[in-house]
Amino acid sequence: MIDERTLAILTESAKYDVSCSSSGSGRRNEGGIGNGYASGCCHSFTPDGRCISLLKILLSNDCIYNCKYCLNRRDNDLPRATATADDICGLVMDFYKRNYIEGLFLSSAVHISPNHTMEQLYLVVKKLREEYRFHGYIHVKGIPRADMEIVNKTALLADRMSFNIELPSEGSLKLLAPQKDRESLLVPMSKLQQEREIFRAEKRKGHFLPAGQTTQLIVGASPEKDGAILRLSEGLYRKRGLKRVYYSSYVPVVHDPLLPETAGGAVREHRLYQADWLLRFYGFDAEELLPADQDLSLEFDPKCAWALAHMDLFPVEVNRAPLEMLLRVPGIGARGAQRILSARRYTKLTFEHLKKMRVVLKRARHFITANGKFYGAGEQAVRGLLAAAEASETAEQLSLFSMNETALSALTGEL
Amino acid sequence: MIYFYDGSKEAFLTALALSFRDSEPYLTSGNKQLVLGQQTVFVRTDAARAKRIEERLVSFDKDCMRDLDTLLRSGDPNRDNIALSYFRLIAEKKRPVRGMLGEDAVLAANECLRRVGFEIHRFHGFVRFLATASGALYAPITPDNDICDLLVPHFRARMPQIPFVIHDVNRKKAAVHDGENTFLAPLSEAEVVLSADETAWQKLWRKYYDSVNIPSRERLKQMRGYMPVRYWKFMPEKTQPLNDDEGDGGAPLPPS
Repeated sequence: MIDERTLAILTESAKYDVSCSSSGSGRRNEGGIGNGYASGCCHSFTPDGRCISLLKILLSNDCIYNCKYCLNRRDNDLPRATATADDICGLVMDFYKRNYIEGLFLSSAVHISPNHTMEQLYLVVKKLREEYRFHGYIHVKGIPRADMEIVNKTALLADRMSFNIELPSEGSLKLLAPQKDRESLLVPMSKLQQEREIFRAEKRKGHFLPAGQTTQLIVGASPEKDGAILRLSEGLYRKRGLKRVYYSSYVPVVHDPLLPETAGGAVREHRLYQADWLLRFYGFDAEELLPADQDLSLEFDPKCAWALAHMDLFPVEVNRAPLEMLLRVPGIGARGAQRILSARRYTKLTFEHLKKMRVVLKRARHFITANGKFYGAGEQAVRGLLAAAEASETAEQLSLFSMNETALSALTGEL
Repeated sequence: MIYFYDGSKEAFLTALALSFRDSEPYLTSGNKQLVLGQQTVFVRTDAARAKRIEERLVSFDKDCMRDLDTLLRSGDPNRDNIALSYFRLIAEKKRPVRGMLGEDAVLAANECLRRVGFEIHRFHGFVRFLATASGALYAPITPDNDICDLLVPHFRARMPQIPFVIHDVNRKKAAVHDGENTFLAPLSEAEVVLSADETAWQKLWRKYYDSVNIPSRERLKQMRGYMPVRYWKFMPEKTQPLNDDEGDGGAPLPPS
């Protein structure tokens, strides 16, 4: 059994990677334990509101690189540890059996050399699959500059792999992660994608990354604008076939004159995810949402901001509007739109119906008519109302003990 | 009129037939405070009649019996009436009605179905097995809905060779998979002898749970939204104290 200290060190070092999903793999149980769960499954939630789906752990946090933003950089004074393959495998098997986790998320600091590190990751996964006969979900981090041969071998065993882009532009990468460059991250991504397509086209036996690839970007450590970031994501989704791009708002874990001292805002991260969903599920293009040199509005969600700039298209009649248009109404999501499509086949929908069907009307009412009726505000008032609605969602109910700045000053009588 | 029935599918179908011409039926399998002068019917299951009704309903909507099974498992105190209104509507329209979201009966039934389905999905994640000395796994749960046997196929598919028991502590029943067969059995209290290393694994899991958290981004409300406190009772990460015995901020220990 792995000792608590090693587990804590290797987990602390892995936790800033935000990728968590365990979806997309239908791997079957073939003796031993485990299988894939196509919709993904969350097993627990930590006090920071994130889910635990996979056992997120590094094989080693002993790094030869010195990326400025990273907790595990060579110069950082940090307890170091390296786990053995059996440590990791034993942990996965016993946690999985008790239903604590849905699988393994295995990453590593670059230890000795990229090839050596990738080889070690491969050996753990091989052992887990073949010796321990584990058929659950495995996500393996790709190590930049490792030989494609080892990467491909790993891909035949893993459900998902990811090369982290880390920073949104070549310039920032050069400044903050001098040992990595764009090439070393994007090339293996494309190669894996090609390999996967060949594998599928030839209908070969076994699996080759059934859950595809993902990547992660740190937002707020470098000066790129949201517009540029979203264009990058759009390219990754549409040209390189990625399943997800994760955005991680920068947390200052190390101090460096090249890095901002403050954390990137949680709201900005949230807005990027909202816009990301619009790209993937709502038929939006990055071009429509905002220009490359601008940030997303913090005041309105991206769909609202888009709708406010296109008031000439609204209001739309819910009984007639096509699905694509319903999806563009602020406040109506994929599920709401489906409900409307289904219900309107049987009856003429009114606002009463929508309310009962739990279509949220707080935003939507300004952009739709139901059976000819409109309950929204005039064009001028809409902005204010929407901003107020947004603020009320994020506002916090103060308790006697919440040490918010204003609450504190109220207590001390400074107010 | 008030109809009392035993909560089974056959009795429900009998009650549906009995109450069909009643304009304001009230169906219940629990207790109901009676108002003076109110008429009551105790439904006696009529298997042949229930079968006829079932065939008729299935001819209108081939999936409706699955809905009925799920609705009757709901923990909603009003589930019997929600199911009754839904099936009366199917009988009236003589076709599947689940898409008719303008109808109150359909909305209520869909909501009920959604809750049961969602709880099953949640428990695929929230069940916590304890390893026993014999090698079998044991998981106590207290779900809102009567779902413990519906959880079995998921775990059986991923651990076909390991025997396990999922015990609904409040409903006093357990779904058992013995490595080959699966069955449902009444079980009020289980005597479990834990394996020697069970506590050590729980502590390790607790340690992992604490390490993977980012304290500077605390969002307790969000955590509780995703994982309501009522589900914490049997989760080691929420009940197992940390080794160094700090105040851990987790849940109180479950009442023994």
